[in-house]
Amino acid sequence: MPTSKIVPLGLFLLLAILLFNGLFSDPAHRDSPFIGREVPTFNLPDLMDREIKYQASTFNNHYTLLNVWGTWCLTCKVELPYLTRLSESGVRIVGLYYEQDSDPMFKSQTLPQVQADVTQTLIQLGNPFEFNIYDEYRDLSFDLGVTGAPESFLIDPNGVIVAHHVGDINDRVWQSVFAPHFLTNTSNRGD
Amino acid sequence: MILSELGHFALILSLFFAGMLSVVPMVGSYTNNQRWMGSAPTLAVGMFVFTLIAYAILTYGFVTDDFSLSYVANHSNSLLPLHYKVTAVWGGHEGSFLLWVLMFTLWTLGVALFSQGIPTLMLARVLSVLGLVACGFYLFMLWVSDPFLSLLPFFPVDGQDLNPLLQDFGMIIHPPMLYMGYVGFAVAFSFAIAALLSGKLDSAWARWSRPWALAAWGFLTVGLALGSWWAYYELGWGGWWFWDPSENAALMPWLAGTALIHSLAITEKRKIFKSWTVLLAICAFSLSLLGTFLIRSGVLVSVHTFASDPSRGLFILGMLVVVIGSSLLLYALRASSLKVEGRYGLISREVMLFGNNVLLSVSTLVVLVGTLLPLVHQQLGRGAISVGEPFFNQMFTLLIVPFALLVGIGPLTRWKSQAPAYLLRQMLYAGTIALAAALLLVLPQSHVSYLALLGFFLAFWVLVNTVEEVRLRVGKPFNTGKLTQLSLSHWGMVLGHIGFAILLTGIAMVSNYGVEKDVKLSPGESVELSGYRFAFEGVKGITGPNYRGNQGRIIVYRDNQKITELLPEKRQYNVQKSVMTEAGIDSNLWRDLFVALGEPLGENQWAVRIYYKPLVVWIWLGAAIMALGALCSICDKRYRVRADNKRAADIAHQATPSPALNKG
Repeated sequence: MPTSKIVPLGLFLLLAILLFNGLFSDPAHRDSPFIGREVPTFNLPDLMDREIKYQASTFNNHYTLLNVWGTWCLTCKVELPYLTRLSESGVRIVGLYYEQDSDPMFKSQTLPQVQADVTQTLIQLGNPFEFNIYDEYRDLSFDLGVTGAPESFLIDPNGVIVAHHVGDINDRVWQSVFAPHFLTNTSNRGD
Repeated sequence: MILSELGHFALILSLFFAGMLSVVPMVGSYTNNQRWMGSAPTLAVGMFVFTLIAYAILTYGFVTDDFSLSYVANHSNSLLPLHYKVTAVWGGHEGSFLLWVLMFTLWTLGVALFSQGIPTLMLARVLSVLGLVACGFYLFMLWVSDPFLSLLPFFPVDGQDLNPLLQDFGMIIHPPMLYMGYVGFAVAFSFAIAALLSGKLDSAWARWSRPWALAAWGFLTVGLALGSWWAYYELGWGGWWFWDPSENAALMPWLAGTALIHSLAITEKRKIFKSWTVLLAICAFSLSLLGTFLIRSGVLVSVHTFASDPSRGLFILGMLVVVIGSSLLLYALRASSLKVEGRYGLISREVMLFGNNVLLSVSTLVVLVGTLLPLVHQQLGRGAISVGEPFFNQMFTLLIVPFALLVGIGPLTRWKSQAPAYLLRQMLYAGTIALAAALLLVLPQSHVSYLALLGFFLAFWVLVNTVEEVRLRVGKPFNTGKLTQLSLSHWGMVLGHIGFAILLTGIAMVSNYGVEKDVKLSPGESVELSGYRFAFEGVKGITGPNYRGNQGRIIVYRDNQKITELLPEKRQYNVQKSVMTEAGIDSNLWRDLFVALGEPLGENQWAVRIYYKPLVVWIWLGAAIMALGALCSICDKRYRVRADNKRAADIAHQATPSPALNKG
């Protein structure tokens, strides 16, 4: 049997292994080096109003879910309705917005276009965000080690990152990754 | 009577027929038992009938608002209009899979009914392979994807309603077409497997499976076009293709299928590239199954993703490994015995077709890699990423240039060997005309876009060469009566290539010269865009059967002549609490005017998004012409193998026993 005819089978088996791992790898359980660290310092504007600036202190005194997203990211759109329900149930959610690298072949969007795009998306799919931080040059997302969108960080009232999830948030992810922190939080208060 | 039990019963009976079909004719084919082999068509009919019954039962559940069925409760509502209740059957995972299986049994039935000319042995094996694949589908439904799951004794008073995105005409026809295409490749796949089993990879199997592959490809083309059209007017983003994982999942089998129908043509006519053709037949169907896995397992997230569920994913993956793995193993064992018979020179139609098949395979791989890259990335511990449009757009821009050049010149090239002088003359001639025509199209535009120029050049190149090819075949002197002398399958090719040229023109135009504008408008204000004046008349409240909403009124003028009135809507669906945009579109052959209502900005002021999309309809028109080409080819009379040929074919088949039989 000439080896060339086995190539498709070999390639397929590799693919099958990849898919198998994909089914069971839960990116939520990957240890993030950022857990336990404080949010890096930053000074970034509001997406809708450049006059408003935010610093790390904005995370003080609340549990905040920091959601890294962009309208260009389909997965982010998928999780918006769920996040909206979360925020309606009282979770404080702040968006960290960045535009995809502008490509020379494609005209990059102007800020008003981005704003219109964001408004349109949020009206259509739900707006979970108290406000959106505009990370134009990807400073904060770089410091947070963000590799793509969506990613989410749970930040405690002291400004310390307590949970980190790569990928969309759905009920399963919320229950397993983020909800436990809220439970310990309330029990601590009970003490 | 309880629908849930009836439905389960019908599915179990279908599984029984599928099981019999996968065993009895196959065993018969190896023991030369004519009666066992002859049972295949009857078993195929039984499988189809009971699947149809199961499907009818589920539809009945929807129509009668039987919310004791979990699936109905989750995807319907008593307020839903009747026609959407009927189409809501495929609005979710379980039901759409039942539809998919119904389509599959329909194809199997088709093979059983329209294969009088095919030897009994071959037909028995083809149907048996289809039955085996069907077994996997039924087990999947009964095990992890039950459309008849009952909520008794506690069931809701009313349902969750159908996703508003899916309450739309495009959604009524898009999935059935797409599924017809997806599962249609199973037929070509089964022919390839049966041919591998018999060891007789002659050109006969290519001829038998060619109309089936063409039909599947035609349906998939229409399905993809409808999906793109639906996304265009329903999602309100103004785009027609998003490189979304589920779009990619359908594009991959389409690309492989395009390569397959060309490869089948070579194998049928010239008896070469046999192992390549077999591999493509296996790939086209494997990619359909892989697409199913990607969408339904929740491995990748997209707008179409059905609920994530690892057990389902695991089952489909297991099925993938069994079906694809064993086919490729069979391929590895058997295809090596193929001998190359034909000879051909470097400049010949064979090489051109081969080149295009390589390009199509490479583009399939590009889509596969781009779709799976986020998964690989995640497993390397580098986090999840989205592979965006720029990657795909760049790759396809690169690949389409040599592809289109070959599409133009390929049919003009002779089989076996072609004198380069003629070809060079023709290329110079077509190139000059195409360049001139492209420049004529680009120069009057607001700015010169080199990508658009390239796109138009390629489109005209294909068009000019295709017309020249028809002229050449008809011969001199030219008269229209002679056009009917060309065979229907030849016209199929001509239509397919012209459709491709039209599609390319539409893409080049709309991607480079489409204009969009976001504006704030108060009643009485108007805005200019590409020579049109859009006058905003205001917004009024509307109430539908299961939604409330706002409807804007925009009157479009050109040179102070009223052209049309656009009524974009924004709907709030009561049950699912979601907001939907219904764009207002005025469409003609030359341009679309597209208006989407944004959000209210207070004081009757609204954000409005306005698009001017030149030639966007050509994208879907081109796809429709390509599908028409497939239809034309199928109707060619040489595929209607007459019954009296069958006896001759049977005898020929028995006279040369297959290697498999010898081994037995």
